[in-house]
Amino acid sequence: MGIIIYAILSARGDLKNSDSMVSGLTGLSGGSLYPLSYNSATAIVSDINRSDLIANSSSAIAYAGIIETLAQQFTLLPMRFGSVMETTDAVLQMLERNYPEIEKNLLKVENRVEFGLKVFCDSEKLKAELIAKSEAIREPKTPQSPEPQISVFRDYVNKKLEAHKFEEMLLFHVDSVITGITRHLDQMNAVCKFRKMLSETLIIDAVLLLENKLKDPLIHQIQEFQIQYPGLNFVLTGPWPPYSFVEPTIK
Amino acid sequence: MDNNVVDQSKDITILELLDRVLNKGVILTGDIVISVADIDLVYLGVKLMLSSVETMEQLKTGKAIKEIKE
Repeated sequence: MGIIIYAILSARGDLKNSDSMVSGLTGLSGGSLYPLSYNSATAIVSDINRSDLIANSSSAIAYAGIIETLAQQFTLLPMRFGSVMETTDAVLQMLERNYPEIEKNLLKVENRVEFGLKVFCDSEKLKAELIAKSEAIREPKTPQSPEPQISVFRDYVNKKLEAHKFEEMLLFHVDSVITGITRHLDQMNAVCKFRKMLSETLIIDAVLLLENKLKDPLIHQIQEFQIQYPGLNFVLTGPWPPYSFVEPTIK
Repeated sequence: MDNNVVDQSKDITILELLDRVLNKGVILTGDIVISVADIDLVYLGVKLMLSSVETMEQLKTGKAIKEIKE
């Protein structure tokens, strides 16, 4: 038998009734959810047989579903799938040991939700557009000396230079898109983390943390980006519990 | 709306969800037992997330370890 932890939340003020708030909710393998508290930090847990915790996508989705349900009522720190401790005492000791860190993290994400933003492109189409754009602004060629003799070496170097030039143009383009996005999201006081050029088609993978109430303005803003960059495809997911904005490790 | 678009959105949402619950969030360390071992080691990217879950199951039974060694 073990204790599986779904989330840690703050049971301050009117949230002190977390016990009644989670009663009736069931965890993985049908065990009832219950809170374990140290001061204002409360872990939401359920009992589980280790053998019942199967590592497959449906268990992971069910686990995330429980966190999602809790997130609709509380500001919380979502736990990673598979967070199991031996006993309730061990959970309480963990809360005590990490109390300052837990409080700090909860404060950071209070009343905030996470969104995922992925920007896809048709790489061939984008390549053609960027090349056409760069050629349009390029100065007319000055008369040159007779064409040098074509050699395998020169052909290879030219191709490499072209590829490098395209990569630079693409990176510049992606950076300008990120700058545009950041400028608007800063006005919403959003915290953003960007990763770029993850594949030929996924050019931006971002996570955003912003106030709950700004969901609709964010959706509107993403629609505006879509109009501004018709060659790109913006995919927004969320709101999620703040998975990407909590300090990852507690002891 | 185009059904294909709806299906793709569902797929992306599920992958995003799995990416979060398996690779993000608070990790417990120390004297705590994490029943799903070394998830990070088998995570190769969002597109491979579903297959990595299968690999996790294999890791539990030791099959994948044998394959990795080979």
